[in-house]
Amino acid sequence: MRFLIIGGGVAGTTAAQELRKRDASADITILSEEHHPLYSRVLLPHYITGKIPRERVFLKRDGWYGEQNIDWQAGVVAQHMDAKNKFVGGSDGREYPYDKLLVATGGEVRALSEDLRGVSYLRTLDDADHLLQLLTQQGGMARAGIYGGGFIACEYLNFFAHFQIPTTLAHRGAHFWTRLLLPEAGELIAKHLIKNGVEVHPNSTLEHLEGDKELAGFVTSTGQHAATILGVGIGIEPDFSWLREAGIEVGRGVKANEFLETNAPDVYTAGDIAEFFDPILGRQLQIGNWMNAMSHGRTVAKTMSGERTSVQLVSSYATNALGLEIIFVGDVERAAAQEIYTLGSITQGGITQVFQRGGRVVGAAIIGRNRDRTPITKAIERKQPFSSLDLS
Amino acid sequence: MPRIRVQVDPDLCIGAASCVTIAPETFQLNEENKAWVFDHGQEPEGHTYERWLEVTDEEKENILLAAQSCPTLAILIFNEEGEQLFPEP
Repeated sequence: MRFLIIGGGVAGTTAAQELRKRDASADITILSEEHHPLYSRVLLPHYITGKIPRERVFLKRDGWYGEQNIDWQAGVVAQHMDAKNKFVGGSDGREYPYDKLLVATGGEVRALSEDLRGVSYLRTLDDADHLLQLLTQQGGMARAGIYGGGFIACEYLNFFAHFQIPTTLAHRGAHFWTRLLLPEAGELIAKHLIKNGVEVHPNSTLEHLEGDKELAGFVTSTGQHAATILGVGIGIEPDFSWLREAGIEVGRGVKANEFLETNAPDVYTAGDIAEFFDPILGRQLQIGNWMNAMSHGRTVAKTMSGERTSVQLVSSYATNALGLEIIFVGDVERAAAQEIYTLGSITQGGITQVFQRGGRVVGAAIIGRNRDRTPITKAIERKQPFSSLDLS
Repeated sequence: MPRIRVQVDPDLCIGAASCVTIAPETFQLNEENKAWVFDHGQEPEGHTYERWLEVTDEEKENILLAAQSCPTLAILIFNEEGEQLFPEP
């Protein structure tokens, strides 16, 4: 049996490990765009703020792949595939045949059309190294900008606060996470940031950067701002072209059923890139968090080795923005909910939005109200209605 | 039955809750969104970030799996002799 895995992140590597556990003699190959062995993206903030040394972000050593008899092709990107003759063409010019293929390529950051030294993204370890280099070089002269209103913007807020760099934040929407949050919850976040000294500019679209080779500022539809570092977090944009051309069904992500099987025989998907049918939430969606990716890796390996297993997880994502705790559990897309219930208020310093569909709770956005997390997660798992929750 | 020491580093824990999903009898989130260590769903002697647990081999494997799934490696597991089982030192 030849297993080919595209993507060396946590979904792909976990799948490889699980496949090896279940089949000692199978050929297992991972094509990984990055040259690093598996590391935790979730640890990058701890690394950037100096909480842990760089070597602690790694979850596998270089030697691990060989010990597990996994053929790890670092620095190779999949460029085309033939689903009929069952092979994938790599950027190294080689053709990789497979019996079963796993697509777990995650997402590429959506980049600005311009680039100057000082523009920063936060997806990979190399990105983190780059940011640290900028911070070290600029020292007390740094002036920070952030473009985006999501999880990555929160990380940048914390970094710049940690290094005591004055910060201007701009985002396109009226507030953070406009597709998920109601205006009141958005206002709670904005007020918290402003109280902590951040200059916040909503409804602002980036127009262009200023500076020669080095960034000096950025201009949005609402104003001009000085900045020597601009942290950009405007979402991910995976490359689907090679999959589409091979006849793999793609929507927002790679379409899959609850077993993470795509429309093509013997082609599976997992992690951030999978747009899978979630049997607990009752719809097809894409979820981008660590827990989901790792769990997908384990589940899909079972299915690929013959024990067809469906995804069964209510995953979540927790972060904080300058000390304000923000947790998303389950399905938090406003457009997919039938009812949204709100608990708490701006004056209380915490708001929870509970999303309901088909008479049962499917998700929640919990801001400054950590205590709501466990009961809501249980209600989602047990498919209970909002009315069964006792949250004060 | 193996005896293991389970420890959560609250400074590294970010409340990703992978451990709670895999081993809810051992880990539960507190109000600060960090994981307390439980003994088979109980908290003898109150809340704590570390405790000795007497577990079956199967439970030990599951707790190790929970530790391995933590994206910030905030869970440390030691055996009775004090050797660190995870993360591998």
